[in-house]
Amino acid sequence: MRELNPEETSLLELVDRLLNKGVVLAGEATISVAGVDLIYLGLNLVLGAVETFEKAQERRAS
Amino acid sequence: MTLIAHAIAAAPRASLSHRGLRGRPLSWSEIGGLGLWSTEWDPDVKLERPDALEHHQLVERICAAQPCLPVRFGTAFATSDAALESLDKRAAALRAALTRVAGKSELALTLLWHEVPAPAAPEATGGPGRRYMEQRRADYGAREGRRARAESMVEELIAQLAIERPLIWHETCTSASVAVSFAALVPTEQALERKAQLEGIAARFSDVLPVVNGPWPPYTFARIE
Repeated sequence: MRELNPEETSLLELVDRLLNKGVVLAGEATISVAGVDLIYLGLNLVLGAVETFEKAQERRAS
Repeated sequence: MTLIAHAIAAAPRASLSHRGLRGRPLSWSEIGGLGLWSTEWDPDVKLERPDALEHHQLVERICAAQPCLPVRFGTAFATSDAALESLDKRAAALRAALTRVAGKSELALTLLWHEVPAPAAPEATGGPGRRYMEQRRADYGAREGRRARAESMVEELIAQLAIERPLIWHETCTSASVAVSFAALVPTEQALERKAQLEGIAARFSDVLPVVNGPWPPYTFARIE
């Protein structure tokens, strides 16, 4: 397993707050809104951003 | 028309632009001195990844304009009446939480282990059952040692920051890489100074890499019972 770097860590911390913290007003609605699986969304958000970071690093290196 | 909730604040509403998620109208619904900031949304449109980060930016904008409680991303209401009913049911707890976070921001610190050690190899004596048990004991000892070290770093952070425990949240050893995930609620006007202090304290821990984030809205401290 690859270790986390600081950029990934920052994004994970933010995503964790957006999806797992904050006021819960309507429990079940949180998960089912517009049919989006928020856990999947969270992982994709992180993976998408990691990909962006890695591309940016490649560009800087070349 | 659905409402995607962003933040709760006390009335009166702050003066904000009317731009919500994806440029849709940002609305304010109010009941009993409390209000909900939300985006008017078409229920047929799915939320996507960029919406989560835009929600964060909206919450930051609202919290900069007036004390607010961030709402968990993805919370939706079918109507304004449904949103107001939900607020009204929790009014006392929401008011108490608003008082707790007013004028404060959250700082986040993650401590990443520099190295994730391989499990210690037990002595190659005895039979397979004994070796298995020795391995388990070695793994358990290593894990407990790391947890104790992580807890000691948390105690040092709290002592050095001289901050009350209700204004702190933390978890330790949540994954192989993460030693500590820590959040502190600090006065907004001192947030950058406290962030520098937090960076300075964390930099003295030789076995971890510190990552400091924020100040950002008080996500971790917005929970209501």
